[in-house]
Amino acid sequence: MSKKKIVSLALASIMAMSSLAACSSKNNNGESASPSPSAGSSSQASTTPNKAEDKLKFSIFYSDNATLPFKEDWLVVQEVEKRFNVDIHFEVIPIADYQTKVSLALNTGNNAPDVILYQSTKGENASLALNGAIVPISDYSDWTPNFNAKVKEFGLENDLAALNLKDGKRYYLPSLYDKPFYDGGLILRKDLLEKYGQQEPKTFDDLYNVLKKFKAENPDSYPLTILAGPRVLYRMTMPSFGISVGKNGADGSRTLSWDYEKQTYFPGAISDQYKEYMKFFSKLYAEGLLDPEMADPIDGDKWSTKLATGKSFASYAYYDQIGGVEGAATEAGFDLQMYPPLAGPAGAHHQQKSRTGSGIMFPKKTADRKDFEQLVKKIDEIFFSDEGSKIWGLGAEGVTYTMDGDKIKYADEIVNSPNGIYKTMQLNYGAGSDVTQLVWVNAREMTKYDENYSQINATVASMKDPIQAIPPTPMFDDMTAEEAASLQTPLYDTFEVWADGFLTGKKSLDKDWDKYVKEMKTLQIEKFTQMYNDNLKK
Amino acid sequence: MNKQRKYRPLTIGDVLINGFMVLVVLICFVPFLYMLALSLSSPDAIINNKVSLFPVGLNFEAYKQIFTYPNFFKAYGNTIFYTIGGTLISLFMSALFAYAMSKQFLKGHKLVMMLIVFSMFFSGGLIPTYLLISDLHLTGTVWAMLIPFAINQFNLIILINFFRAIPAEIEEAAIIDGLNYFGILQRVILPLSTPALATIGLYTAVFFWNDWFNGLIYLNTNQYPVMLFLRNIVNGTAMVGDGAGAADKSTIAMSIKSAVIITSTLPIIILYPMLQRFFVAGLTVGSVKG
Repeated sequence: MSKKKIVSLALASIMAMSSLAACSSKNNNGESASPSPSAGSSSQASTTPNKAEDKLKFSIFYSDNATLPFKEDWLVVQEVEKRFNVDIHFEVIPIADYQTKVSLALNTGNNAPDVILYQSTKGENASLALNGAIVPISDYSDWTPNFNAKVKEFGLENDLAALNLKDGKRYYLPSLYDKPFYDGGLILRKDLLEKYGQQEPKTFDDLYNVLKKFKAENPDSYPLTILAGPRVLYRMTMPSFGISVGKNGADGSRTLSWDYEKQTYFPGAISDQYKEYMKFFSKLYAEGLLDPEMADPIDGDKWSTKLATGKSFASYAYYDQIGGVEGAATEAGFDLQMYPPLAGPAGAHHQQKSRTGSGIMFPKKTADRKDFEQLVKKIDEIFFSDEGSKIWGLGAEGVTYTMDGDKIKYADEIVNSPNGIYKTMQLNYGAGSDVTQLVWVNAREMTKYDENYSQINATVASMKDPIQAIPPTPMFDDMTAEEAASLQTPLYDTFEVWADGFLTGKKSLDKDWDKYVKEMKTLQIEKFTQMYNDNLKK
Repeated sequence: MNKQRKYRPLTIGDVLINGFMVLVVLICFVPFLYMLALSLSSPDAIINNKVSLFPVGLNFEAYKQIFTYPNFFKAYGNTIFYTIGGTLISLFMSALFAYAMSKQFLKGHKLVMMLIVFSMFFSGGLIPTYLLISDLHLTGTVWAMLIPFAINQFNLIILINFFRAIPAEIEEAAIIDGLNYFGILQRVILPLSTPALATIGLYTAVFFWNDWFNGLIYLNTNQYPVMLFLRNIVNGTAMVGDGAGAADKSTIAMSIKSAVIITSTLPIIILYPMLQRFFVAGLTVGSVKG
């Protein structure tokens, strides 16, 4: 008995203490809100808003990538602070943990910065936005004239409308692309192609023949290898077969695909297109043309090793990575080249891409600043005006580049740098970081790369619809989203298991296919499809 | 007896045991050697898979490069500060707490013990804890790293039990000689408890050295510990490959990853042998005879 009493006493005291703590914390909160740094600076700014020497101060979350470590003294940062008369406090957060930090700041509202970069309203952010943690920036479009102008110039009105959430509001200023980039795709050993008398592949059947030839000449090799995991291969090749499923499927449903003609979703994971796709790749696998190690992720280092040492001759990867492999390879005449997307049953397509990217978000607290209007206008000017976006992309005129009529001429030390223009601009000056550059003009970006790359991009641009748009996201409310998620997980798990089976030949596409389809139907893939289609924006 | 032992011929058992121990040492040691070799090799040799246990194309470029990363030394200094400060605070607080808790005649000690055990198994969860720390105005200060972790329940229980095992007669003798409880703790109990203190000190130091998550959520950029930096370099590009694929594009040279791993783990590993001399058991043997 006495023991029980002690337990209940303890519990009661804990509860009492915790509720007290909650009370006091609330009080603290209310009190602490006023002397916070942002409020301080805002009052300062609002009392004397017109003085030219008064700098607008704000804090910003910056997602830091270890390949491009942020430096406060980067030319672009200095230049922007000087030209726009602002004092930006950068909170530099490692990219791997960026989302955690942002999520905490938005969820608790404590210690949130004034501005968050590199965000969108996918996933958790959508419900945070609908619950009022984020400023609905589309309500303030009068304050973002530069952004609006760029949207109009690039013709992105529809893309932008697609970013609205269920309440019809948009909660961030996305980055804008005039044309999607062809930044990765099929990469092949061009020197071997010539040595073995092969034609440049145009279709997937061509690819099969080329790989076959490579294998015949080098029986120990696995000609086609994969970077990271099957997902990279899947997302880059599936669109040519008319589907996009798997972990990085374009629409995020993982088992559905978008029919671009009918403008509806269909169950891509059990479609004939998918069966065809698997037939092709399981054939590659069975004949030893596809790297069997693809099941466990092949990281960048291992991948480079495979290509450099002649264990593999082809891969789906990104253009930026070719240089590193070529530099390290010891074989004479080693030449990796990137090729345009191959034609499959559904035409030649690369992975789908959006023409908007992650961008700028304002936590709710920022709207309490007295100079909120001034801040939004300033942000718009800094990131989306011609002047501002040029600094983030190209650096300062006269230092990193000069204009020769319409042509951009980079400074000699940049052009002659062994890292190449693009990398040097990033590392030394901070120009062209996808966190801070929010306006992307394809032609302008191409000046940072070698001839070869711009040529491939030009070839791809002249093809018919090589990079399709990302399918529309359905507008789920919280309940439907929950239900969809509970359908999605088992479907995707089953899909993964079978995909592996089909690819490696453990399951036969002829004999076991019906069983697979039946299993997916039992898991309600049709209902899942229906949910997506029912909730599309009208 | 000693002499005989010394000259005893090697038996098969000795060979087996020693051989096994050498194997264990190798298993622990070879990964480090490999990392060290990678960090000192040229990137070309690494990509071409030539490096095994010794560096190929010896150079210090990787180290030069990580030392030019902004904030690397700052982060390193932070970590050393958190480790030393945190461990000292933790040992001090735990010893005070444990000593009181080791006295079973104190009223309510069972209740307090229950609270300790309860909080060991159930914690507040991320967001409530964050709100608490934030409302205590600790976020953005180094105290957020030091105070909330001052007492680890598990270490505390170890210490309580160790204190209890010290014969009460020693304390009685000390009281007769005129010491109060603080004096006893300081002059009698703590000196007798070096093995326990060294053990939990090591646990705590390793905890503070390795901790990156609390640094991430509570602190600002210039206060980040080096482990966050390490994580970003080793893991950063592999973690975010989910969406657009931007992260699949860029990789960090293996030599740099290795160099960061070596520089950030070596100090704490060196700590182990240095603490060895505190692990002496049996100091109290014979102290209460007669």
